[in-house]
Amino acid sequence: MNRLKPLLFPFCGFMIALFICTLILVAAGERYSILLESFYNTFFTHFGLGYALFYSTPLVFTGLSVAVAARCGLFNIGAEGQLYIASVALTFVATHLLLPIPLAIPLAIFAAMLGGGFWGGLAGFLKARMGSHEVIVTILLNFIAYSLTDYSILYLFRNPEVQNPESLEIFQSYRLPLLSDLSALVGLETFSTTPVNVTLFFAVLCAFLVHFFLFSTEKGFEVRAVGFNPKASKFNHISVEKNTILAFVIAGALTAGVAVNEIMGHQHKLIQGFSVEYGFTGIAVALLARNNPIGILFSAFLFGSLHNATREMEFMSEKVTKELSFILQALMIGFVASERVISEVLSRRGKKHV
Amino acid sequence: MFELLESCLRLSTPLLFAAIGGFFCERSGVATICLEGVMLTSAWSAAVVTYYTQNPWLGTLAGLLTGGFTMSLHALLVIFARADQIVSGVAVNLLAAGVTPFLNKIFFSSPTNSPAIAIEHRFHAISIPILSEIPLVGRIFFSQLPLVYLALILPFAAHFIAYKTKWGLRLLAAGDAPEALQSLGGDVKRTRFIFLFIGGLLCSLGGTFLSISHSSQFTRDMTAGRGFIALAALIFGKWRPLPTLFACLFFGFADSLQIRLQSAEWLTGNFPVQFIQATPYLITLLVLVGFMGKSRPPLSIGKEFK
Repeated sequence: MNRLKPLLFPFCGFMIALFICTLILVAAGERYSILLESFYNTFFTHFGLGYALFYSTPLVFTGLSVAVAARCGLFNIGAEGQLYIASVALTFVATHLLLPIPLAIPLAIFAAMLGGGFWGGLAGFLKARMGSHEVIVTILLNFIAYSLTDYSILYLFRNPEVQNPESLEIFQSYRLPLLSDLSALVGLETFSTTPVNVTLFFAVLCAFLVHFFLFSTEKGFEVRAVGFNPKASKFNHISVEKNTILAFVIAGALTAGVAVNEIMGHQHKLIQGFSVEYGFTGIAVALLARNNPIGILFSAFLFGSLHNATREMEFMSEKVTKELSFILQALMIGFVASERVISEVLSRRGKKHV
Repeated sequence: MFELLESCLRLSTPLLFAAIGGFFCERSGVATICLEGVMLTSAWSAAVVTYYTQNPWLGTLAGLLTGGFTMSLHALLVIFARADQIVSGVAVNLLAAGVTPFLNKIFFSSPTNSPAIAIEHRFHAISIPILSEIPLVGRIFFSQLPLVYLALILPFAAHFIAYKTKWGLRLLAAGDAPEALQSLGGDVKRTRFIFLFIGGLLCSLGGTFLSISHSSQFTRDMTAGRGFIALAALIFGKWRPLPTLFACLFFGFADSLQIRLQSAEWLTGNFPVQFIQATPYLITLLVLVGFMGKSRPPLSIGKEFK
């Protein structure tokens, strides 16, 4: 029970945020049950659950990305830009090199990690060596990454046969199987027509790997030490600079999973603006899980379902836009961020009654 | 060339309001990365109220109230709920990015933009008699939108308030030595709240400028990172109003140059437009990293005060 206690507060925050959103929806003239209906569809239909898992997959990666940086005392708002650079690197490899499957898939993943890691490392370098604040640097790098991505789509590997700006299709050997295909092999019909794919398993694996790295390796200890107390780390010969850069490189490399899920698993091409703010939602995912990699699996699923639910609502109602999930996230972040004061007030109340 | 300088002033205006607003917030000791969100909400409400009342003054008032309210949320979270200042800023930015399209769809059944405001209901350039007749300079400096004049005066006013008045002393003390302020009987929390609110009001003028002076409607995410560029200008100006003025003019110039280059035929034929679009951000980044030298933030920024 005690181990579950730290999760209680974020969970309450989520519930309160849902409640406030329901109030907003009712005030906007919507029926009060719409939120429940959309969540029912999300959790209790193959279609809804498949999409919820598909949306959760990238959120695991971006959540981990934000969490690794946060463990080093850094705030990574740049996951959005990093995942685009990772996508460009991946697409470049997967549309240019015709390779057999056992080579193709690891190489493409490695290329994506290199791209994302480079973009993250750039922010880390500027922070560590130049002392620029990482929040502003990563935000600016995001805008530059959007432009670079647009440029790459239009000039490096554009598909000339379609009107919309999107890349050529990647070669067959780079494509990952869908979960519905896998289950069809054993004669089951699960998640049919949904894009959830094997990247989901990579995501779970990554969460455990990051957990192992942070809590069971020397490097991970150093990263956390710098986040915990940079001055003390310095006196113990732990380099603040090196670990800042390392944490940002890892954070960037982790966003490669988003590219793998979207391009190798689902679309098989790079489409302009495909990310529905996965990078920014990662902040809420990490915060809710208190930067615990295993907890991120659950909070990513929560936000993935939430994203699917708001999408359903957009279909069901004339009034709702998918940005409703931003409002929910903001409410939740605000609630979790003011945790200490709220719990102080509550415990003071409790004592008075005794 | 003159058009370039003219549009430089116009594009610097929202940056100036946000940066000087940010000056008051940050110097009081509170990290404020939610300038972006404050601008966005005020831009929206200004556009909507102007559209319905056909009066830009009422629109400005609505923008001020909304922006002040948005910044108060940040202030409440940071000062009274003792939330992490960066995290709270992210929450406010997210809220703004969510609320504005959400409400816009409820009002106008489209999340992307509000209906255009008729040209006679918007603010217009005011030519200052005599001065505007000076050749060249007159058109650039003395025939502008009303808020542009205000934005250019603002850094001087902020300088005067911060360094020459009793209230300015409190502002600087709240940011650099809150314990000292408290031991002399000042109320740190109240001081910070008041200056955050004032900063929010100034910042929201920048938002209203975007939607009812510079253009004629609200569009989704119309601030496009200007809140962060303003923050970079503030850092580049070493958290002082007058150098910040020049930083804002510089970034405004980069932006107007970018827009100009996009339509320059000799360039667009041989040079991808995406790189031109990225230049303001790239220049901001380079300036932030390369030419900055030592920029010392207010001493107690980011730390909570119990």
